[in-house]
Amino acid sequence: MRTYLLAGLSAAILAVSSVGVAAQTKLNRNEIINSLQGAQQEVDLTADQMQKAAIENIRKYPGANSPHDMPLSAKLATLRQFNVEITFDFDSARIRPESYETVGVIADALHTPYLQGQTFVIVGHTDAKGPRQYNLDLSIKRAQAVREALVTTFQVPAQYLFAVGLGEEQLRDPSKPDAAINRRVQLINLGYK
Amino acid sequence: MRQLIFAIMAFAMLASAPAVAQTVGFAEAIKMLGASCGKDIETYCKSASLANNGITNCLEENKAKVSAQCNADRVTVLSLIRERLAAQASVAKICSRDSAQYCKGVKEGAGHILRCLLKAKPSVSAKCNTAIDMAGYR
Repeated sequence: MRTYLLAGLSAAILAVSSVGVAAQTKLNRNEIINSLQGAQQEVDLTADQMQKAAIENIRKYPGANSPHDMPLSAKLATLRQFNVEITFDFDSARIRPESYETVGVIADALHTPYLQGQTFVIVGHTDAKGPRQYNLDLSIKRAQAVREALVTTFQVPAQYLFAVGLGEEQLRDPSKPDAAINRRVQLINLGYK
Repeated sequence: MRQLIFAIMAFAMLASAPAVAQTVGFAEAIKMLGASCGKDIETYCKSASLANNGITNCLEENKAKVSAQCNADRVTVLSLIRERLAAQASVAKICSRDSAQYCKGVKEGAGHILRCLLKAKPSVSAKCNTAIDMAGYR
């Protein structure tokens, strides 16, 4: 009987991990918490500054692609952060049902005492296909859609949560500007305010 | 016989621990909505959004057309989310005596007292520790 139980358990674990490989990588709450907690007490950066930097980057260096990273990118790289994949309808900010769980995992993480009281920015990113201004606008709408879902349906305190869209101004892999890896939603901890 | 007792004990532990100690997290709840209602959402709620319970509201409006499984689960999902939120909201009150005793002088707000209670787990009352578990705070 004991052996049966053990066998049952290991089968269940196998099943879970194979699903994880097949679908999107299975996200877990503690992974997000571990990556995001332990922010510096005071981060000298606001969501508004991030948004302005992206807009400014397009204005100053127009063209199909940005010639270089945004001025803030070095600073952003030093902050506690985590990337998730959320799928939206094509050309839309509507979150698809297969990504509801991911939004729920973020809600679970943000509600815990480990992350309570710190300020977070939800940052939307696109790949480099299409016009930069269009991508910027879409990424802003998508980041706002994620924030809205979190603060209403899941009641994450609104005063600690901001939405920013960086469009294609901050590619994850600049060597492959059109690759899927660039399409992501990033959570960044801006610390205690 | 001994083996059988072991098995029963192991089973009892597996079965009872989560039931007593936890409500369901937001991820687990909302995942059920995507899984059971995904098709109906794509058919009837193409312009509804996840914010403001928009999807569950839309499914409710279309309940005559939505699948039986989805109709059952959309109601469950809402109550699971409500239960978790209620569990979280009740912690401060249930733990007020423990907070006063073990987290004296800790700044209020921003989760400071909850983090203190997590650290003080061995001293904190069973009632308060259970409330923290139910809230999904650990």
